[in-house]
Amino acid sequence: MTTIPASATTFADKGVFDDAFLRKLARLEWVARKPLRGLLHGEHTTSRRGRGLEFSDFRQYRAGDDFRHIDWNVYSRLDQLFLKLHAADDDLTLHLLVDCSASMAFGEPPKFDHARRVAAALACIALNNLDRVAVSAFSGSIGADLSPVKGRRQMARVLAFLAGQRCGGTTGLAMVLRAFAARTRHPGVVVLISDLLGVPDVESGLDALRPGRHEVVVMQLLAEAEIDPPLDGALLMVDAETGDELTVTVDADLRALYQRHLDQRLEATERYCRRRGVEYLRASTAIAFEDIVLRYLRQGIHLR
Amino acid sequence: MIQLAYPLALMSLLAIPLLLALHFLSPRRRRVALSSILLWQAALKDRTRGQGFRRLFRTISLLLLLASVLSLGLALSGPQWLARSDEGDDTVLVLDTSASMQTRTGGGATRFELARSAAADIVDRLPRGGRMLVMTSGRKARLRSGFESDPDALRRVLAPLRADDEAGRPRDALSLALSLLRNRPHGRIYFLTDGAFDADVDPGSPQVVIRTFGGGPARNVAITRFDLRQAVARDDRFEVLLTVRNYTGAPVSVPAAISLDERVLFQRPLQIAARGERTLVLAFPGSARGQAVARIRVDDDLAADNQAFAAVNADEVLRILLLTRGNLYLESVLEALPNAQLTKRNALRAADLALLARSYDVVVFDGIAAPELPTGNFLLVNTLAPGLPFSDAGRVTRPPIRGRGDSALMRDVDLGAVRIAEARRIVVGQSPPGLQRLFWSPQTDLALALLDERRRLVYLGFDLAQSNFPLQTTFPLFISQSLAWLRPRGNAATSNYVAAGDTHVVALPAQVTQAILRTPAGKSETLAVHDGVLRMDAGGNAGIYRYTVGEQERFFAVTLADARESDVSNRWQGGRPGGGAPPSGVGAQALTPLWPYLLLLALVLLLLEWGVWMRSHADA
Repeated sequence: MTTIPASATTFADKGVFDDAFLRKLARLEWVARKPLRGLLHGEHTTSRRGRGLEFSDFRQYRAGDDFRHIDWNVYSRLDQLFLKLHAADDDLTLHLLVDCSASMAFGEPPKFDHARRVAAALACIALNNLDRVAVSAFSGSIGADLSPVKGRRQMARVLAFLAGQRCGGTTGLAMVLRAFAARTRHPGVVVLISDLLGVPDVESGLDALRPGRHEVVVMQLLAEAEIDPPLDGALLMVDAETGDELTVTVDADLRALYQRHLDQRLEATERYCRRRGVEYLRASTAIAFEDIVLRYLRQGIHLR
Repeated sequence: MIQLAYPLALMSLLAIPLLLALHFLSPRRRRVALSSILLWQAALKDRTRGQGFRRLFRTISLLLLLASVLSLGLALSGPQWLARSDEGDDTVLVLDTSASMQTRTGGGATRFELARSAAADIVDRLPRGGRMLVMTSGRKARLRSGFESDPDALRRVLAPLRADDEAGRPRDALSLALSLLRNRPHGRIYFLTDGAFDADVDPGSPQVVIRTFGGGPARNVAITRFDLRQAVARDDRFEVLLTVRNYTGAPVSVPAAISLDERVLFQRPLQIAARGERTLVLAFPGSARGQAVARIRVDDDLAADNQAFAAVNADEVLRILLLTRGNLYLESVLEALPNAQLTKRNALRAADLALLARSYDVVVFDGIAAPELPTGNFLLVNTLAPGLPFSDAGRVTRPPIRGRGDSALMRDVDLGAVRIAEARRIVVGQSPPGLQRLFWSPQTDLALALLDERRRLVYLGFDLAQSNFPLQTTFPLFISQSLAWLRPRGNAATSNYVAAGDTHVVALPAQVTQAILRTPAGKSETLAVHDGVLRMDAGGNAGIYRYTVGEQERFFAVTLADARESDVSNRWQGGRPGGGAPPSGVGAQALTPLWPYLLLLALVLLLLEWGVWMRSHADA
């Protein structure tokens, strides 16, 4: 059943990719048989529409989709709008951009662990699909990166790379994405896994990826304590990235205000992504990484 | 104006910083690391906007709490509101120290002790910042302090005050007090007295509050007159005058005694009718010289007037040195002067003059050239001396006497028949100080008197042998008055007594600069003599006062002997008894305690604070 190379088990002692993770990854690999790139076709205003001729799948029409991909036959039979998805002909490179800023260490389990597991899962699926996978870890700038690899055997390298990353520094998203876009010649699927917290200029950073060239997926990971902070009383809050301090007395009112601001922020990011054709996925660390991957793969790739 | 009864209680206000510290010192905050605080900052900003009222409530709560603590602290300090506090509210406290204030009251204390106690009460109520001046009313009005705001200083002024043996003049004291409060319409004068004065003393000013003490009936029998003198034209007899008055409503028999230098002259009871008096004129053999005391033995309420004093100093010899080549007229006159001791010389060495001038009371130059005159008293007849403000300018014949001065030397001197054959012509410098023109002709001054810092001098500018002046009856008078002026001897032949509190003035030789005064109590005081005049402020206590000039000791008597002062009944009758209710506030100033209001305010503030706290708590 599993196609995980034996060498990958050497990371079981890393904590992040333990045996349980590897077993889940194997199951995920089996479930996610569909080509990863199907995830991307027809999503919003995609630039990779209809390049290949090979039919891939159908998906329900969403506002913003290119209606030239609407299948008239299905529409005439079911009176519902479905998009006809096609597989791209060219090789696909999956760029995994994993945020390893200090804020990612927050949460239980840490968001960073969750991000790495999600990245590993996506890399696994892509490699099984014979796509190329590149991984970059960033905080204030792009730190270590793994050059594009291909083939299922490269999964061990991906896992080793991810396991070797540590959290630290501030998030310089705009600068990182600008640098990434400048050095990446071949368009591909860019999956940005970050909490997007402490980033006041998310939009300008995403603009730098020039969504027209890349298929971009923003996966925003939030700790449960960030969504519903269990804080109360007189506190001295310390920003994990900047070290700034805030003296505050938290009460129900302030928590409500915080959540309102959080919701506004998330909605704004989602709105922006939808407007710019960027796939936006939001998840809590309370949800198991495989559930995230599967749920969102189902939501986006129609794994039915 | 607010004054605090217990200023130390303001220490309780130290609770305010404590309260502030508790308010602002929040508990130690829990440190929490977050992935980002941006959203929290935004939330906090929103809350800050939305929590204006809550913050306001919290601020109001703190302010109310502070105000309540402040009110409570002020209440504890006993604040009092002074109704008026401007400078016009100065108070003058006039204490009657006249002899009648020594009258015993029914309670055993004297009237003065009651008055002084009341004065202390008034000082105790002196408001902070208020000023008070203390003065006494006796024979003279005396300021005992300036306007003082320190009650302790005023108490120190009051403590040593005593009633004296003086006859009071309250009208003078009240006039002075009113003048001190001129242009201060709110000022108040408290006159603490026994009312033993006539009703017209009351100036009727609304500023004057007269409080009387011990004004009830009093028993008094007093010596109201006492004197002695040498009998007229009799050196072997003297007379004593004594008057005793009964101020009671019943006849009394009073043992009376008179002594002279401790020799008893008279001693017997005197029967005196109710409200009557008895006067004795007694003649005794001998000379009226010495210290006389009259006493009556009676147990009445005022002891000060049960004795009286009189004194006559012993004779003084007038030592005269006459430098002359022979002058029958002058010698005869000088030898005829009473108590005069004449020494004649016909020549003088200039070097001896200074010593002689100190040894003799008067040095007379008659036609003998005088050297420069040292300190002393001199009579120059038909001669001049260097260093004088007038000089020789020749002679004039038959100078008519056309003018005479009003000097005491010329009193009763009739110059109408005086003729002068020849006189010295002198030139007087420009208005020399101390020079008196006695008489003169159109050509020259004929007689002068000069008083300067060291000398007294009488100048007679013609030879007595060239004039009929010695033949006139006024000549001995002129010489006698000249010698009396040159060497004042005081009232040697009459008794020297002054009323207690008065000033005794004695004329002394010009060279005397100081004298030592000794009181009946034995206290000595050195007094300066200015221009030959010794002024001795007789103390308030009756008795024999002695003063020493050089080696000579003299004395004078200080006595009460005042019929009106011995009438100790309250003749004024317009005052309020001293034992009655005290005047309402000092200097029309009323103190109102404020602590009940502040306490009430503190409670109200605390209630409000509680309400605000509840409201804000409910909102949270």
